[in-house]
Amino acid sequence: MSALDELVREFGRLPGVGPRTATRLVYHLLRGRREDAHRLAGAIEALLERVRPCSRCGTFAEADLCEVCRDPSRERSLVCVVEGAFEVQSIEKTRRYRGLYHVLGGRLSPLDGVGPDDLAVAALAERIESGQEGIVEVILATSPSVEGEATAVYLEGVLRPLGVRVTRLARGIPVGSDLEYVDGSTLAEALAGRREVRAETPAQAVGADHEDMLLRE
Amino acid sequence: MTLHRLRLQGFRNLEDATLELPAEGVALVGANAQGKSNFLEAIHYLEIFRSCRGTRDTRLIRFGEDFFRLEARIGPGASSVPEPGGDAPRSRSVAAAVQRAGPIKKVTVDGEEPPRIGDALGEMGSVLFTPDDVRLVADGPQERRRFLDIVLSVNAPGYLEALQRYRQVLAQRNAALRDRAPRATVEAWDPLLAGAGARVLRMRAAWVRAGAPTFRSVVEEVSGGERGVLAYQPGVPGGPGAPGNPGTPGSGAFPAVQPDEHEAASIDAPWGDWFAGALREGLEADRRRGTTLIGPHRDEFTMGLEPDGEDPAPKGGRDLREYGSGGQKRTAALALRILEAETVLRRRGRPALLLLDDVFAELDADRSERVLGLLDRTAAGQVVLTAPKDADVRFRHDRLPRWRISGGRIETGGEGG
Repeated sequence: MSALDELVREFGRLPGVGPRTATRLVYHLLRGRREDAHRLAGAIEALLERVRPCSRCGTFAEADLCEVCRDPSRERSLVCVVEGAFEVQSIEKTRRYRGLYHVLGGRLSPLDGVGPDDLAVAALAERIESGQEGIVEVILATSPSVEGEATAVYLEGVLRPLGVRVTRLARGIPVGSDLEYVDGSTLAEALAGRREVRAETPAQAVGADHEDMLLRE
Repeated sequence: MTLHRLRLQGFRNLEDATLELPAEGVALVGANAQGKSNFLEAIHYLEIFRSCRGTRDTRLIRFGEDFFRLEARIGPGASSVPEPGGDAPRSRSVAAAVQRAGPIKKVTVDGEEPPRIGDALGEMGSVLFTPDDVRLVADGPQERRRFLDIVLSVNAPGYLEALQRYRQVLAQRNAALRDRAPRATVEAWDPLLAGAGARVLRMRAAWVRAGAPTFRSVVEEVSGGERGVLAYQPGVPGGPGAPGNPGTPGSGAFPAVQPDEHEAASIDAPWGDWFAGALREGLEADRRRGTTLIGPHRDEFTMGLEPDGEDPAPKGGRDLREYGSGGQKRTAALALRILEAETVLRRRGRPALLLLDDVFAELDADRSERVLGLLDRTAAGQVVLTAPKDADVRFRHDRLPRWRISGGRIETGGEGG
């Protein structure tokens, strides 16, 4: 296989990249300045060299601890559990969450051979039990799919006995969307979880002490 | 709904054609293996978007063609009564196409693709009667579950979604059991299984309960006096009589107006508690056997005959599957289809489009006569029936217009007898 074909194949394995786009990217690199291509290669090298999972939460970091875990202003009593590091980035972009994270590295799916031992569940229990961070609440932010829900149920069973509060992300209608375009099951969830127009926030409704931290702007 | 126009392209052995159907219906007459059943299959495909005979989509494409396409123009017929306060019935177009390459399947309603094919189910409001229906009575419980699943997916909002979710969770839980996973890993699936299963159980039970009187009277009329018993046997132990038994009358009768989602969730709750409790109790047995032993995937509904006199008979009557004669089984199967038609009528407010595929072929003369009388009185809507000979078309006093079919080619314009 020629070097050109090989790179087309490698690009083609990236998410969202089909064979046509892969080919275009390779020709773009060949046509452009050599140092641009070198810089890309160098960036990939550096990524592999420097980035690794945070030793505490499992998100990507360039040091032993990630930026969130190192930040002294973050609320240490609050941990948000996500399936992957990508979700950490999504939640961080909201700039509404001031707690820490824990990355599971997937979700339960016996059909795919993924059980609790394949996820960072023991590490999460260890973080809570050690008491070093003083964790009071764990927010389960696994996806609302069947597998994500089962993962949340499983985690709840593991974490509740450890004496922490366990909460789950609410589900409903996306902000700014038009009701007409919301799919039936989401609308059904939203109807089932409806609340008073001007009442307490849902976090207060279940007795949260962290509301100010969660909603700090 | 009335089927006004049907357009056929590349479907089975049927010649491409655009056919205008009379509002009262049509009798399609032709020898065997000319395409009569394929014609009814084509119409019913637009109701359930798959073959009623379980044939794979690509196998429905005519030999040598790249795709098939079916399109129906449906609308209010002569017999449609405007519902008070409801939508005025209007004309719609339902189409389905399958392309061999891919394969790609496309379903449209009024030219628009619904978000999911499931959203377009039941537009035609057709009910198909075939000689194969006897398998609903004679074969194993999976045939009857399949029947219930199709009827409810088409006519009960929220059922298909719950069923699909149930199957997905069940597959995961069974995989965990098969892997001999620890207890907690199996239990993680239980709230989801109970949640989705509760709705499946509730809707099936409600349908059977609501249909039992009709089943009884249809069997009585066709058989000339035998009383049919339709009974639901959930695949979850306990059931009627258990604490908080959800089987009490009035809990979500079918098919009255479906409750809104919030209400539905609260009606489901006792069923979910019941199922969840049974899952807890059965967990060790499930782990030993490596599979989920209870749940709606083990449901059964039985058809029986009430014995004469004081004979002690099992609850649910003498099981027709075991003890029924050929004629009794066919009668029960027919009663199920009439129940299906009744469901369509209640749900849609309009009579079902009846598709009768040579249904009288295997009934004895007495039973046929009574079935005819029954259908004539209950089927206020359009009827498309097939028969091998003119003499077999006795429906509606032979008034139905005749079409002929030969080698997949349909000749319209025949006269009624």
